[in-house]
Amino acid sequence: MMQRWYDPFTVGEWAKRTFSFFNIGLLIFTVAFGASEFRFDWCEKLVGTYLLATNDLRSETGALWETGRQTSNAHKSLNRIITQREDSRRSVQNADSFYNIVESLGPGEWVTLEKEHFKRLYLSLSPGIGRQLIEPSHLVWLLNTNLTDRIFCEGMTQGVSLYFIDSRNRVIHQIDLKKNTIGEIQSRNEPVPGRLTDIEAFSGHIYSSEKFFEAVFKLPVEMIPELMVDPELLLKQEGTIQSVGIWNEADGGYIKLGFEFSHRGGNRVLLIQAREWAVWQLSLILKGEIQ
Amino acid sequence: MKSVSRLISLFRMIFFLCILVGSISILGGFFLIFHVARDLPKLPSPLSRIIETPQSLIYDSTGQVLMGLGERKAVPLEMVSKNFINAIVATEDHRFFEHHGINKLRTLKALYITLFESDRVQGASTITQQLAKNLFFSFEQSWHRKFKEMLVALQIEAANTKEQILNAYINQIYFGAGAQGIEKASQTFFGKSSFELNLAEASLLAGLPKSPTRYNPFRHYERALKRREVVLERMVATGFISSLDAQKAAATHPELHQGRVDARRGSYFLDALMKELIQTYGEDVVFHGGIRVYTTLDTRLQSFARDAVKQGLERLDGLMGIGLNENGLNEHGPATIDRPQGALVAIDTGSGAIKAMVGGRDYYTSEFNRAVDSRRQAGSGFKPFLYYTAFQTLGVHPGTIMTDKPVSIKVAGAKDWEPQNFERQFNGNMILKSALNRSVNTIAAQLVTMTGPEAVTALAKACGVKSPLENVYSVALGTSLVSPLDMAGAFSVFANLGIKHDPFLFWRVEDAFGRVLFERIVQNKKVLDPALAFQVVDMMKAVVDTGSGRSIRGLGFQGPAAGKTGTTDNYKDAWFTGFTPSLCVSVWTGFDKKKRLKSKKGTGITGGRGAAPIWADFMINAMKGEPERAFSVPNNIRFEAVDPFTGCAPEPGGPVSSVPLKTGQVLCGEAVQ
Repeated sequence: MMQRWYDPFTVGEWAKRTFSFFNIGLLIFTVAFGASEFRFDWCEKLVGTYLLATNDLRSETGALWETGRQTSNAHKSLNRIITQREDSRRSVQNADSFYNIVESLGPGEWVTLEKEHFKRLYLSLSPGIGRQLIEPSHLVWLLNTNLTDRIFCEGMTQGVSLYFIDSRNRVIHQIDLKKNTIGEIQSRNEPVPGRLTDIEAFSGHIYSSEKFFEAVFKLPVEMIPELMVDPELLLKQEGTIQSVGIWNEADGGYIKLGFEFSHRGGNRVLLIQAREWAVWQLSLILKGEIQ
Repeated sequence: MKSVSRLISLFRMIFFLCILVGSISILGGFFLIFHVARDLPKLPSPLSRIIETPQSLIYDSTGQVLMGLGERKAVPLEMVSKNFINAIVATEDHRFFEHHGINKLRTLKALYITLFESDRVQGASTITQQLAKNLFFSFEQSWHRKFKEMLVALQIEAANTKEQILNAYINQIYFGAGAQGIEKASQTFFGKSSFELNLAEASLLAGLPKSPTRYNPFRHYERALKRREVVLERMVATGFISSLDAQKAAATHPELHQGRVDARRGSYFLDALMKELIQTYGEDVVFHGGIRVYTTLDTRLQSFARDAVKQGLERLDGLMGIGLNENGLNEHGPATIDRPQGALVAIDTGSGAIKAMVGGRDYYTSEFNRAVDSRRQAGSGFKPFLYYTAFQTLGVHPGTIMTDKPVSIKVAGAKDWEPQNFERQFNGNMILKSALNRSVNTIAAQLVTMTGPEAVTALAKACGVKSPLENVYSVALGTSLVSPLDMAGAFSVFANLGIKHDPFLFWRVEDAFGRVLFERIVQNKKVLDPALAFQVVDMMKAVVDTGSGRSIRGLGFQGPAAGKTGTTDNYKDAWFTGFTPSLCVSVWTGFDKKKRLKSKKGTGITGGRGAAPIWADFMINAMKGEPERAFSVPNNIRFEAVDPFTGCAPEPGGPVSSVPLKTGQVLCGEAVQ
């Protein structure tokens, strides 16, 4: 093998080159570098410190932050449900009629109605209309004994259901308030502009006020209050009664009577409820079948 | 000289090459760190924020907490038993207090083993690395994930003290059975605070995080004790305890807290509950919303139900000759395969509240909830719906006479239906009460041709059967598929004499502040005529007293009860659904794979032999201490004595049966043809 020009010629030269200051220094540095890392963990500390310094620049990813996001979503969902419920509760609390309650609750929404509040709303109805919702004696049994713990209102597609429930959450009595029915009940308190002849259901059953009252007073005395269950509604009206109509069908044991009032050149119709059997007696007199 | 020179030259080259490779590696390493660091997750500050997730609580029917979801009961380090701290450090990372996030020697060793020793993979994660992994990363095994986890561990070490890291770790690790964090684990497994853990208990718990399912002491107690030996050895090796202490601890078998065993994640009831809650509110609200759910579960009844199903199925194993050989295998394969399964649902008849639910013999072997999700043929268990329909539409009553004879019913587009009796014989005239009692198929078939199958399925649906039912004649013999929950719910309508309550799992749901999200109200829905329902109940009482369910009396349940057995063709399903006035329980037994239930002698196992004993076992315990209450009799019902073979008043000395008749119904009317 040929001697290369840069190869040392003697062993001494070899040793000198091998154990040069540079080589020894490099070796010591390398060993110290490795040993110091194992001893002082400076590399880990350095990297750790760097990562800590850049922590805020990084994104919130990973299982932990995902959990945080899920928690935040959960709170949002719950708050939405609760807010919705609170809104419904406030609307129901402020309701001054059953119609307002029906308006306040959407399908599936529910609130608890105070017993006193229910009583107030019930008493604001005229006795006849109230009786159509629930018999007063039944209501006394439900509300004035310790039977009912709460009244639970649940919104339905067509109205609300009122559940009278006991302390074990069992339904004792249920009232279904349909939107159109309750609206109609409420509107009965107010006369609507127009004439009886405009309403198809009265066709053929419209009588002058004189004829009507003449027939009324031919009825037995005890029957008259059943014919005018809510006379105060009529007394409150301004103007004079021109004619009275009898609705052509009964609903739940009642028949509507329409009173046409004339006042300052205008005409208004007020609908009131009358007991079906009393109206039937009255009709017989009006038709001359009974004297 | 030349050879020495070549050797030295070689060494020198290797040395410089190493320096070069080392330098490049260091530079590459730093480059990699800067590169990967951009994708690392942000670390919360302070670290204790990791335990700030609100827990959703599930309560039983008495208001006791059953379990917490996402629950982490954080405790400060000083409130945790020193035994546990030592045990976990010795087992998971004995150099925890020395390293700075990474145990380099262990990592190098693990790397060497993983790379050069085939079939061996060594882990070297420190406690800090495990914390990083649990907080931010998936359990996917990759170098990339491992490297990221290592970097996050370095950051955690840089930002926190060792005590803070250890505190976060022990409050966050998963011990199995739904227990996250040491305090919850201590309460779950031993019913005590983590401060009170002794060495035997602490070392057992410290062994669980390695594989919470495999070492779950509730399921594999012996395996968990074996693992504990490893923990104790590590504690001795690291100098935390002496050998004598380890021996003493190893000799102790800590008693597990069994009180709320169904509170653990892994119960069929909770699975069904979760499913319903998630459907209503979504996963985020259920697991992270901190809601409070007040369930209907009666832990006492649930415990009886679990034991009754377990013992009943073991009894069935014995009856069928299914046992283990010396290899832990039965004739068909592993012990967990090809064993009959069972399900039980118990419903409070007064409200519809589900008080207990067992969906299989062992949740950990099979999570499939047979009580709710399994639909099987009910067999004769469906006949009460047919009899009620017949009473309602045909005007017949329990004393009406019919003939048990061969019948052939024409079916459009199919061959004639010729139902057979269970005993393969015909017994002539009998009253309907006897027909149900003896589960006579030919009479049921005659009735369904008269009522029409539509009326029967409509009635079953009105009673609350939610599974789809086929409008075919054979529906009267129970060929449609139903679940035990369907059967329990529908039979409770009979128990209530016609009042239906939909079965439900929870009463109330609140948010963390006690604001009500949902409240159950119990509404009576009258779906059956009380008098006709009572007549069916009276017939079912006879089934329990003298009919196919009489094994219940033999097993010792003597209270008022009514019910009906059900056995399907070829003994694939064995049912018993029965009730007292207050509790309705449906029990199903059978194989998942529709295999026959046959005894060692080759005879088929009926509902009376397979399911009724489970029912009796459960009811005996469930009704213990409860006031005995008879079924109420409607006002328009009177009892009359009748000759069971003629349907007329009995002859003196002749056979007598008693039947309830509704006002207007008379005995000895014309026989129904």
